[in-house]
Amino acid sequence: MSRLLKIAGREYLAYVRTPGFWLSILLLPVGLSVLALAPVLMARSTPLPALAVVDLSGRVLTPAVARAMRSGGPDGRPIARIVAPPGAPFASADDATARLKPYLGGRRALPGGGRLSAVAILRPAGDTVAIDFWSRNVADGAMERAVGGAVTRALRRGALARAGLDPAALASLDALQAGVTDFSPKAAAGKVALGDRLPGVVGVAMGFLLWMVVLTGAGMLLGSIIEEKSSRILEILLSSASVPEIMGGKILGVAGVTGTVLAFWLTIAAVVVGIRLPDVAADLAAILLAKGLWAYLALYFIGGYLMFATLYVTIGAFCESPREAQTLMGPMTILMSVPLMFMSQALARPDAPLLTVLSFIPPFTPFMMAARAATDPPAWQIAATLALIAGVTALELWVAIPAFKSGALRSGRFELRTFLASLARRGRD
Amino acid sequence: MEAALVLDGVTKRYGAFTAVDDLSFEARPGRILGFLGPNGAGKTTTLRMALGLVAPTAGRIAVMGAPDAAAVRARIGFMPEERGLYRRMTPVGVIAFLAGLKGVSGGEARRRARALLEAQGLGEVMHRQIRSLSKGMAQKVQLLSALAHEPDLVILDEPFAGLDPVNQQSLEVLLRSIAARGAAVIFSTHVMQHAERLCDQVVLLALGRKVFDGTVEEARAAAPRALILEGAFEASVMADLPGVTGFAAEPLEGGGARVTASLSPGAPAQKTLMAAFAKEVEISRFELREPHLHDAFIVLTGEGKAP
Repeated sequence: MSRLLKIAGREYLAYVRTPGFWLSILLLPVGLSVLALAPVLMARSTPLPALAVVDLSGRVLTPAVARAMRSGGPDGRPIARIVAPPGAPFASADDATARLKPYLGGRRALPGGGRLSAVAILRPAGDTVAIDFWSRNVADGAMERAVGGAVTRALRRGALARAGLDPAALASLDALQAGVTDFSPKAAAGKVALGDRLPGVVGVAMGFLLWMVVLTGAGMLLGSIIEEKSSRILEILLSSASVPEIMGGKILGVAGVTGTVLAFWLTIAAVVVGIRLPDVAADLAAILLAKGLWAYLALYFIGGYLMFATLYVTIGAFCESPREAQTLMGPMTILMSVPLMFMSQALARPDAPLLTVLSFIPPFTPFMMAARAATDPPAWQIAATLALIAGVTALELWVAIPAFKSGALRSGRFELRTFLASLARRGRD
Repeated sequence: MEAALVLDGVTKRYGAFTAVDDLSFEARPGRILGFLGPNGAGKTTTLRMALGLVAPTAGRIAVMGAPDAAAVRARIGFMPEERGLYRRMTPVGVIAFLAGLKGVSGGEARRRARALLEAQGLGEVMHRQIRSLSKGMAQKVQLLSALAHEPDLVILDEPFAGLDPVNQQSLEVLLRSIAARGAAVIFSTHVMQHAERLCDQVVLLALGRKVFDGTVEEARAAAPRALILEGAFEASVMADLPGVTGFAAEPLEGGGARVTASLSPGAPAQKTLMAAFAKEVEISRFELREPHLHDAFIVLTGEGKAP
């Protein structure tokens, strides 16, 4: 046990002391922060675009557009500031287009300074109004949609008013909205609350997290074993410790590395959620603790990691170079992408029989069962899948422990036939 | 005193190929055993069997009395033929780590690592990463990592390979000091001079079979002494000289020939020389050359050339 811990400790420190570890640990929180702050920073640092409305429709639509621009953005934020079209009035839409184009192209500045960002030319089109929307930034459709929506609503209101509808009745019509309340027999109080939806989200999130950990851990384990094999350190280790101690030490060390990264990320997430969304944080804590969900997820998480880590350590012992390992990782990654495709379906279609079937295919079991946490799988399924993971891991160890030594001492490039033959013989020469 | 390593009728087969065939020998504490043999002779396989890394197909192995090396692995120091270390670790770190695996406590392992590195002139680099060390330095660090736990049995696979003459010399001193404190040292080598200078016992292996097990002197005795004569004479006269079992001649640049004659075991070289002078053979130079381990190796392994 002491040797296992020493190997694990060395493995852990070897990774923690690299700049790559600190980059990976900081990258996600920093990336997410940037992602969250980017729109705000952009909005603060970018001046509000200037929109000129040329109303040739014969109706008074500019005020409606102006209202939409003032408060039609997310959270009631303004979309644009309305400016008087320079050179108005205009004889026609073509006239307006021709005279405003220099302002849009940036060749001329607005009379008060600044640049014109967009022009909305409203012109009659039969019973309705057509909008010619000119913009410097064709990629941003928010302003165009807001102008279209405002004009459409104003036209409908006008039509309803002309049909004799009272303005007060119109206002109350606008305010009409159906209130929907979710109920479910699975919800604790009948009425579905955020807390009832969280287990599903947490389960799927844990499934994805496990997927990431397995994939990252696989790369670390393969890299570590290959480095030790190619430099013959593995031979020295084999003369100093038993195979279970070496394999266990490696697996535990890498688990420590990924665990540290996860703990760091989850702590930051918990602090942020606790401060910004205290109700959600309380719900999350209650859910994880109340129904033993944390234990359920932890069992599949640990079981899944052990099952895959054992496999990767054994494969690593048969590889001579990182290139060989990468070649092997290709098919494994394809196989691993199957649960990735189905995990999110556990939220939308929790009762799909295919999800149950996939839960009993060992490489997919831990991911699918974690993702199905919210559907309260029957106890027999939980027991059977946990037994399946334990059985597969035990079988792997039974085959892999003797094969590991054989692979570690073997030289030459990886051959699938040799690898499988060695597994079948359990490493006996 | 109990043998540190006993191999008794050990055989290792890989399918139809026999890597080691019915091998028996003993390594005793306080002695240095040279394990010699050409490439593919089965040296590494034998050492791996002794370490418990490979199971023998037949025969018995006892390591310090234990039937399985795993039971006494903390008392064994091992350095493999192909070498490498954790490139990002420091010499102190790697020696302490490997000594730790052999049961030495953390603080003591680091103390020993520092002392060993200082003693071997690596004190200044003990806290630098291995990857920044020269090949010779890294090789020394690896050797020290096999010794820091003060093992009773030291097994080194080709320890002299890749070392410059100065480091080879210091390695010889180190191996003698390990044996002097009572440990059994087994090393495989291709360099006969090292074995000749160092070994109390040599085991010669050829095609998986033991062809010799004894002292260096006993090995040398297996090879004939050579009488070298130079002068202006016909090489054929050598055939009639007493004690000569065979000869080979080569022309000399200034004229004449150099004849190397093999003498039969126990034959006095003086009598051969006297007979040559009696026949009035014109000898300008003569030399009696005692056999080296290299010669014995060629004779014993039946090879036309040394490894």
